[in-house]
Amino acid sequence: MFLQQLVNGIVLGSTYALIALGYTMVYGIIELINFAHGEIYMFGAFIGMILVTVYQVPFFIAFFLAMALASLLGITVEYLAYRPLRRSTRLAALISAIGASIFLQNLALLIMGSRPYSFPSPFVSKIYKTSFVTISKVEVIILIVSFLLMLGLTFLIQKTKIGIAMRATAQDKDTASLMGININKVITATFAVGSALGAAAGVMVGIYFRSVTPMMGLMPGLKGFVAAVLGGIGSIPGAMLGGLLLGVAEVMGAAYISSQYRDAVAFMILIVVLLFKPSGLIGSSLQEKV
Amino acid sequence: MNKKIISLLSILFLLSVLVASGCGGNDQPSGPASDPGPASEGEEAPESTVVKIGMVGPLSGGAATYGQSVRNGVEIAVNEANENNEIEGVVLELFAEDSEGDWSKAANAFSKLAEQDKVNVIVGGVLSSESEAGGPIIMSAQIPTISPSSTATGLTLGNPYLFRNCLSDEVQASQLAEYAVTELGLSKFAILYTNNDYGVALKNAFEETAGSLAEVLAVEAFMDNDENFKPQLTSIQQLNPEAIFIAGYYTEAAKIAQQAKEQGLDVQLLGADGFYSPVLIEIGADAVEGAIFTAGFHSGDESPAVQNFVNNYRELFNEEPDMFAAQAYDAARIVIEAIKSKGTAPEQIREGIAETENFPGITGNTSIDEEGDTIKDVLILKVENGAFDRIR
Repeated sequence: MFLQQLVNGIVLGSTYALIALGYTMVYGIIELINFAHGEIYMFGAFIGMILVTVYQVPFFIAFFLAMALASLLGITVEYLAYRPLRRSTRLAALISAIGASIFLQNLALLIMGSRPYSFPSPFVSKIYKTSFVTISKVEVIILIVSFLLMLGLTFLIQKTKIGIAMRATAQDKDTASLMGININKVITATFAVGSALGAAAGVMVGIYFRSVTPMMGLMPGLKGFVAAVLGGIGSIPGAMLGGLLLGVAEVMGAAYISSQYRDAVAFMILIVVLLFKPSGLIGSSLQEKV
Repeated sequence: MNKKIISLLSILFLLSVLVASGCGGNDQPSGPASDPGPASEGEEAPESTVVKIGMVGPLSGGAATYGQSVRNGVEIAVNEANENNEIEGVVLELFAEDSEGDWSKAANAFSKLAEQDKVNVIVGGVLSSESEAGGPIIMSAQIPTISPSSTATGLTLGNPYLFRNCLSDEVQASQLAEYAVTELGLSKFAILYTNNDYGVALKNAFEETAGSLAEVLAVEAFMDNDENFKPQLTSIQQLNPEAIFIAGYYTEAAKIAQQAKEQGLDVQLLGADGFYSPVLIEIGADAVEGAIFTAGFHSGDESPAVQNFVNNYRELFNEEPDMFAAQAYDAARIVIEAIKSKGTAPEQIREGIAETENFPGITGNTSIDEEGDTIKDVLILKVENGAFDRIR
């Protein structure tokens, strides 16, 4: 049973990690908690669902299209809600982020209504059973895809030109721009990549739980934020670790403490981390953030 | 460093405000409050008195499907009465207030209807917590209120102005437990309940009855809007129950069914009236096949009154009516009958509702007892070939 719960926790945690990456990348670059990120995740899931059910697009194409369209949405949100406030106080941008989140949530409610929509699984459901652990095909796919996306992101950040530009911008925006880096371009790219990862998580959660609703971004959005803070906001490996830890902690809390306090466990962890290690598990307070 | 802590703490504070305000402000821009809808069509006739019917329920937010169904059901009843000029010289007007599924907002909505809009009667709240919050308010304002769907045990006790048109959770759950043991021959149960008034009341009643007749192996909780039930299901699976009683609503029930199946947990699924919605089958698909649950309404019923309502509903709202809509329609009909027999003043409506006896509603013959509770049959339905089928 312990192993099974561990697997449950890791699957859940890998989706948190993908969401947390979006928070942490944006924070690393412009020190803004992008509260609209949970809604981008939700839009990603809706786009995927609509492409698959209405337009009959093959799932893997729909998956990448959802990531691309959610990137555009992320870029638009940055352009309309955050860019005009870049030189104002951080609180103004934060409030703008909360506003963007509420706006997107209600936009989805207006367009889609409040009922949940069914997201048919593109895979033949199959269960792999060993003597200790049962895991379904969807779960295996979620684990593999999350792993590949995180690997891809690490490569992007470490090896590519835009990744180096992102790291430079995160360290010192002004110096980076003196070195000829186009800051606006870097910020746009950051939102694009973060939103794409969020959308990927949204689509995978959609097929995992077979449904999408306009409210689905709320809790995972908060949990993704908690995971990012847990790992050390601004740190990419931190977000991955924080997501996995949070998922496992939540599942273990539900299994061994009480299922009533499942969400409480997540937020308790946040409070404890903030009290004892405000910079997070991996995060460093002043040095490089991405 | 310090600055960082402060900003994180301020974020935390903002977050807690967001969570406390019923999960992040879901006001729909066009609040239905100021929109009496088509109900006000008959207003041209100047000599007729206007009777204001209030409605409180979640019109936005996570529980919005239930509130919207209730509003739709009441709207149909009000429209019909106005179109047919059913009550001589009276035009009914609907005032729908959004609670967002939050009890404190529901309390505000009840106060607004009683004090500002000065309604004659209220249909609502939808969720049990809403009606419990509104109870004292409508009692002191002396506005008769009939809830179409608040099933909490003892809700109407000690409040002469509060009625309901749905079976209490207790009656449903204990009758289902009896049926499961005696008719279905099940003996080992697990319970998975949503951690709100509705889920807890169902869980308590089911646990008591099933516990006395057979064995309850596990009791696990979840929250409304949860998506992942694997930890609870994994714990339950260890104990090898024959059936799981899901004390919650259809969205979560469908997901639980899916995840149980995915996990290879092959058990009889049991539920209460929260299962009754086409969405259960749409999301649950083959995983909910064979599920058995209690209900107050069955749209497949062939009686002309039911079919008439179902057709009207489809035409107006382009969807299948659920139990909430049907019970709300009946609640509004009970109010209309009360106005017809007694008069339009709140006190007269209260008397009329209290004296309801064998009212032939679309959710069955309904009487109101001395406590303001409803007396009607419990239907038991089963999911068969992707449709609901009445088995008792």
